[in-house]
Amino acid sequence: MMINTVPPVAIFIVGALLIPFLKGRLQSVFLLALPVIGFINLINIPEGSHWVVSFLDYNLVLGKVDRLSLVFGYIYHIIAFIALLFALHLKDNLQHMAAVIYAGAALGIVFAGDLITLFIFWEVMAIAATYLIWARKTKLSYGAGLRYLLVHLFGGLCLLAGIIIHAHTTGSTEFGFMGLNGLGSWLIFIGFGINCAWPGLHPWLTDAYPETTATGAVFMWTFTTKTAIYVLARGFPGTELLIWIGAIMTVFPIFFAVIENNLRRVLSYSLINQLGFMVCGIGIGTQLSLNGTVSHAFCHILYKALLVMSMGAVLHRTGKINCTDLGGLYKSMPLTALFCMVGAASISAFPLFNGFVSKSMVFEAAALGGFVIPWFLLLFASVGVLEHAGIKVPYYAFFAHDRGIRTKEAPTNMLLAMGIAAFLCVFIGVFPGPLYSILPYPVVFEPYSASHVVTTCQLLFFGALAYVLLTLAGVFPSEKRALNLDADWFYRKGANALAWFVLNPVTGLVTRINRAVFDLLPSFLIWFGKNPPAALKISADMVVYNLTSRDEDARRLEKERAIYPRDLLYPWSIGAAVSFVLVFLLLYLVLYYWRGT
Amino acid sequence: MDKDEKELMELKHEAVPGYRPVFNVVFLLAVVYLGLILWKTIR
Repeated sequence: MMINTVPPVAIFIVGALLIPFLKGRLQSVFLLALPVIGFINLINIPEGSHWVVSFLDYNLVLGKVDRLSLVFGYIYHIIAFIALLFALHLKDNLQHMAAVIYAGAALGIVFAGDLITLFIFWEVMAIAATYLIWARKTKLSYGAGLRYLLVHLFGGLCLLAGIIIHAHTTGSTEFGFMGLNGLGSWLIFIGFGINCAWPGLHPWLTDAYPETTATGAVFMWTFTTKTAIYVLARGFPGTELLIWIGAIMTVFPIFFAVIENNLRRVLSYSLINQLGFMVCGIGIGTQLSLNGTVSHAFCHILYKALLVMSMGAVLHRTGKINCTDLGGLYKSMPLTALFCMVGAASISAFPLFNGFVSKSMVFEAAALGGFVIPWFLLLFASVGVLEHAGIKVPYYAFFAHDRGIRTKEAPTNMLLAMGIAAFLCVFIGVFPGPLYSILPYPVVFEPYSASHVVTTCQLLFFGALAYVLLTLAGVFPSEKRALNLDADWFYRKGANALAWFVLNPVTGLVTRINRAVFDLLPSFLIWFGKNPPAALKISADMVVYNLTSRDEDARRLEKERAIYPRDLLYPWSIGAAVSFVLVFLLLYLVLYYWRGT
Repeated sequence: MDKDEKELMELKHEAVPGYRPVFNVVFLLAVVYLGLILWKTIR
């Protein structure tokens, strides 16, 4: 079917290439126009598979458009607009290009109808994200970026291996429901899981995200992980293992977030926690839970971007991001503080904020499915979210422990970006209908029932009470200016142990093998080749001496070594040798005839 | 005094006198309450 649109990814990739040719106000207008044009393009694309290109024996599908991909497409365009507006003051073409390519690659994945297209954009996304980390140009960001790249290349290799095996097994590269039914799908599952920051595979996130630039962070916090949620929702819905992975994801980051001093790292742990709700929803696999996952991804992108932008504005103005350095900033940055609190209320799922209308769907699905333990874990995690993201982030940045920092309010473009995100958080929270109408399945869910509202309010108010009591009783752990290791202990400490192992035992062994093969063995062969019979004689005499230990043998051996390569034995003359051979033959003939008669 | 000496190394949350027993009682009640709910649910 011919349509007058282009693949969503094309607008962003081509747009990124044009950025260096534009300057000043024109560039700003162009940057904002890109997601707007992309959005208009997107809403004109009918559902179905478009832009099918033949490649070897496979079809590459650049536009698989259905209700699932459309939801992610909409929110990616919206957040790209907000994030580009937030970064509009930036005079760094490369950073703008990386950000736009990153958004484009994420769209490429969302609309990929086959695994090869998905893999290509998967790698493009990893490279663009790495640049956004390195763009901060600090020693920490360089190290974090390198680790990010290595982890994602490994994840990409898992994905590629899985795709090859899957294609070989099934004869198709179409990207749809796969389920865990073979090595190929398991490798693809793990490849997706690395980007989704599953427990144990997550340290790249808490390591790299806090080191990104203030503006690049909005892109980082949005695209990679939510794209992983999308691919899991398409490829592995109803995989029960995901319920447990998701439940663990919601719980374990809370403990690290509570003791973390760096507020952007707190938000990183909070991101993993929120992804856990979505992964759990995918694992449950019902229409309600998948709607919950998708709507939570949609809402999460908005409120997490809002929180990240508020912390980005703080970092931009003060150059500080630690709890130990901040406090009392509401006096200088009141609007940023207000927007941060809207984000905090949304992520905590207060009624009338967007987190409430999406998270409660996952809760309801877990309850209806009879998943009691996961449901309790999600409940506990919800309180944890309030503690670290709902209270800790705004409180320590803008209110508690006034450090006397007085600065200017965030730049206008940043305030506008935060304002739009805050408006959407509240609008969706109050009027969830438009969001529900674009979800993959029909929605028969009422978030504002008395039981939902009362239960959530109980949870939140008791959670807040717990925070106050923990603080007043002196039980709440202190924030220290230190690097808290979790699963990255294995590769940070493990890497040191590996380096010692390689530099000491392994290098020693290699040196010895090297000496034996390239030094001792050739020397011996040269020595042996000078007079092989004499060398064999010396060797035999050495054996004899070692067995007898007689002085006579020792003297002979010493003499043989001293005159080598000459020999103690004098060679026979040719005549004597021939005579000996003739005598030997004669004896042989005599014996032969004697036995024959 | 250099910059490092001025930077706060740890943000401690000092206890306000009298709140520790309140916390202990509330914590105990919460554990009993949640334990009962969990037990009734999975029984």
